[in-house]
Amino acid sequence: MVFSSLVFLCIFLPVNLFLYFISKNKTWRNWVLIISSLVFYAWGEPVWITAMIFSTLLSYISALIIEKFRGTGTAKVFLVLSVAVNLLILGTFKYSGFIIENINALLGIGLRKPEISLPIGISFYSFQIISYIVDVYRGEVEAQKSFTKLLLFVSLFHQLVAGPIVRYSDIAAQIEDRKVTPEGFSEGVSRFIIGLGKKVLIANTAGELAVNFLGTDYEKLPVTGAWLGILLYAFQIYFDFSGYSDMAIGLGRMYGFTYKENFDYPYISKSATEFWRRWHISLSSFFRDYVYIPLGGNRRHLARNLLIVWFLTGLWHGASWNFIIWGIYYFVLIYAEKLFFRKVLERIPRVFSHLYLILAVLVGWVFFYHTDISQALRFLGVMFGNASAFTSSEVSLTFRSNAIFLIIAAVASTPLAKKAFEAIKKSFQGNRARVAFLDNVFRPAVNILILVLSLAFLVGQSYNPFLYFRF
Amino acid sequence: MKRLRIDAIAFIAILAGLGIANLLNVNKPAVSTLENRMLKAKPELTWSSLSSGDYFRDFEDYYSDTFINRDNIVKLCRDIKDSLSLNREGVTLVVTREQNEPINDDTTRDRTSENQTVPRTTPEPSEEHSAPDGETPATQSGRETVQATATPTPTPRQFGDDETVAYYLIVDGKAVQLFKFNREGMDYYAEVLNKYHEVLGDKVTIYSMIPPTNSEFVKLRKYADITDSQNDAMDYLRSKLDPGIVTVDVYDELNRHKDEYIYFKTDHHWTALGAYYGYCAFMEATSREPVPLSRYDTVKVEGYLGSSYTKTLNKELEKNPDTVCLYLPFTGYEYTMYYGNEPKTADLIDMSYAEGSKDKYLIFMSTGGATWSVIKTNVHNGKKILVMKDSFGNALVPFLLPHYEEIYVVDARFYSKNVTGMTIPEFIEEHGIQELVFLFYMEDVNWTKFMNNVESHLY
Repeated sequence: MVFSSLVFLCIFLPVNLFLYFISKNKTWRNWVLIISSLVFYAWGEPVWITAMIFSTLLSYISALIIEKFRGTGTAKVFLVLSVAVNLLILGTFKYSGFIIENINALLGIGLRKPEISLPIGISFYSFQIISYIVDVYRGEVEAQKSFTKLLLFVSLFHQLVAGPIVRYSDIAAQIEDRKVTPEGFSEGVSRFIIGLGKKVLIANTAGELAVNFLGTDYEKLPVTGAWLGILLYAFQIYFDFSGYSDMAIGLGRMYGFTYKENFDYPYISKSATEFWRRWHISLSSFFRDYVYIPLGGNRRHLARNLLIVWFLTGLWHGASWNFIIWGIYYFVLIYAEKLFFRKVLERIPRVFSHLYLILAVLVGWVFFYHTDISQALRFLGVMFGNASAFTSSEVSLTFRSNAIFLIIAAVASTPLAKKAFEAIKKSFQGNRARVAFLDNVFRPAVNILILVLSLAFLVGQSYNPFLYFRF
Repeated sequence: MKRLRIDAIAFIAILAGLGIANLLNVNKPAVSTLENRMLKAKPELTWSSLSSGDYFRDFEDYYSDTFINRDNIVKLCRDIKDSLSLNREGVTLVVTREQNEPINDDTTRDRTSENQTVPRTTPEPSEEHSAPDGETPATQSGRETVQATATPTPTPRQFGDDETVAYYLIVDGKAVQLFKFNREGMDYYAEVLNKYHEVLGDKVTIYSMIPPTNSEFVKLRKYADITDSQNDAMDYLRSKLDPGIVTVDVYDELNRHKDEYIYFKTDHHWTALGAYYGYCAFMEATSREPVPLSRYDTVKVEGYLGSSYTKTLNKELEKNPDTVCLYLPFTGYEYTMYYGNEPKTADLIDMSYAEGSKDKYLIFMSTGGATWSVIKTNVHNGKKILVMKDSFGNALVPFLLPHYEEIYVVDARFYSKNVTGMTIPEFIEEHGIQELVFLFYMEDVNWTKFMNNVESHLY
């Protein structure tokens, strides 16, 4: 199930909230969450829910052993073993087809590709489990004594399907005991609605527009069409992903969990290094803490360490060469920035460093989108002038008819609205009634509007003409 | 703050309220008259659908398709999107995506498993095509409604594979489907017709009659470059066809009358007047005199919102409904439609489809959606013709009455040799037919899936 489905919104969530809040006792509440999380997961992945439970059970036992034999070889063996098994499970589901494909291509043989579909969320929960085991090994957290509580951590439907990658250490205390206050719940709802709006109103719309340019016949695509297409895709992917994270964080707050932020306005960055501090933070910090720093960080073998991290980052996004190229591409940018380019970026006017980043990110998305590398190169060619035409009626009309939408999306990619809201509030400082109006009437009214619009669009989008625009 | 904030309360109230309202709403609709399509039916709970996850995916589609007050919500979305646009020139581009069910399951399966000997159950007429008096709007108007009418149990297939994208430009209250030249499709059309010619030889004269769509004639103002030339496409087709196949020059004839009401504004079909000019071109190709229009009595049906409207829900179209002008045949005839092997007598101009919000194009040939049909006239000249068509043929066939003793009509989407026991060449042989006309919508010619059907009836 996904958050932006009517079944989740109108059936699952109300039922879940009801059952959760009529249960007065901590244990019951945990059980409500576990059972509904399993239902949530089984809705999309009825068979491979077994893989998730198996992984959890294995890690549960390993962590207990690791803790018991802390400092001995046994602990190390169980660490390596359980991390290896988790990676093996992830690898089998996610990469076996890719590996066999490459072996076939390399050796010119015809091994049969296994037909395994990727279980939903496996990339996320595998990493959550690995971080738990490593943290226990490092003595940063205590091993969880209760299997059901560990299962709750792994399967919690808030972050199960699309992240963020929550560290066990961050919510260990909340698994034991958590408080839901009216404020916390209200803030959670507000955050969830913002995320829903980002996903349904912006990401979906951008996605529907983008497919008119991406994946089309590039012989006929004009230069402006390529730029508009990749820009729309950039909006789609950011609002989709960060919208999901917002919804996860919001749901967490509604139930008394605090998850760390996963996105921090990445598109306002001025370097690739900064971009990756703001984009999918839970993933980059995972690689930082569990790969980059153990390898030696920036103290020794900087280039090698960066290369490994970015290769893995690329590979994590999908079992295809284009994702690896996309990762390596960021390695090149970030390494260059670390060597000398950052100094240049810091000296030139901000607008140029910002333009550099936007350009770099858009080129990156070209590789991210096209699983076929030759198509990606063809598309880049069109972007940089190797096209049959500069523009077409179709592009200029699409652009004009969606100008308002594009402006909304661009503004929503920045903290502008948030800052404006804070500034207005500040200017009201002497006046409590006005501040209260902003907080208790204006903001809730905007939220309700976003909710209603999102629901309407979810219903409306089941109707086929996705793009409906006027020029 | 001790209480929940107002938006949190509204959040719970709205979501739970909608959930309960949907739960209580037991009479879920099966069709949407607004969009003229079948809504997703409640999936059946089986072990395999459950374990594959199909059940849940289908259930989500079913849930949103039957959501309470859905028609109004759909319209509300349209209005919101409309209000966001800057430009008020009255020109709108709409892109529609549609999932196409395999047009005719029998034939698609035939292509994959040749030499199949197990007899297949013949489709039940009542299921295969809803009867004219049924509640289900059995719209055979073009390929987009096929999902509403084709075989009741679609074969399982990969999600997303049969997707087609259509671009509509709405200019001055007229919907124009943009034509994107597809060389592969064109080549395939010519290949299929050439095969028919090869098999049938010179005993049967074959005509290729492809009317252009209105994107060729509606004035697109400064956006003319947005659609590919169908005139060029026609020339291309002609160059690919065997010289033995007669190309009927529908294009030029329609072009001469392009300022008349030859296409609907809210529907992708030609009007009966457009079809009449098509008929004139056919007469010219066969060196015969067309019957003048003045010989016909006419009936007008007002207030028609056709397929282009139901797909785009455009307001300009809504304000400008079409008038369907009907030319009543003066030749005595008997029109028998065979649904499966069940014969059913019908009217060529079937006024039962003129009422209410039914798709009024279905008036022509009473949907034209039988497995096959025959019109026997009181013109005793021994001439017999077979028209293989899609919905575009429905408006034209009635004009052929004065010239033939027997007119056989096969819709390429619905014909099934498993029902008749005959391939088309056998069918032609059996009935002693001398002429064969292929009369298709340009977008079907451009679409290989459709032509697959045409080819499959050959062997």
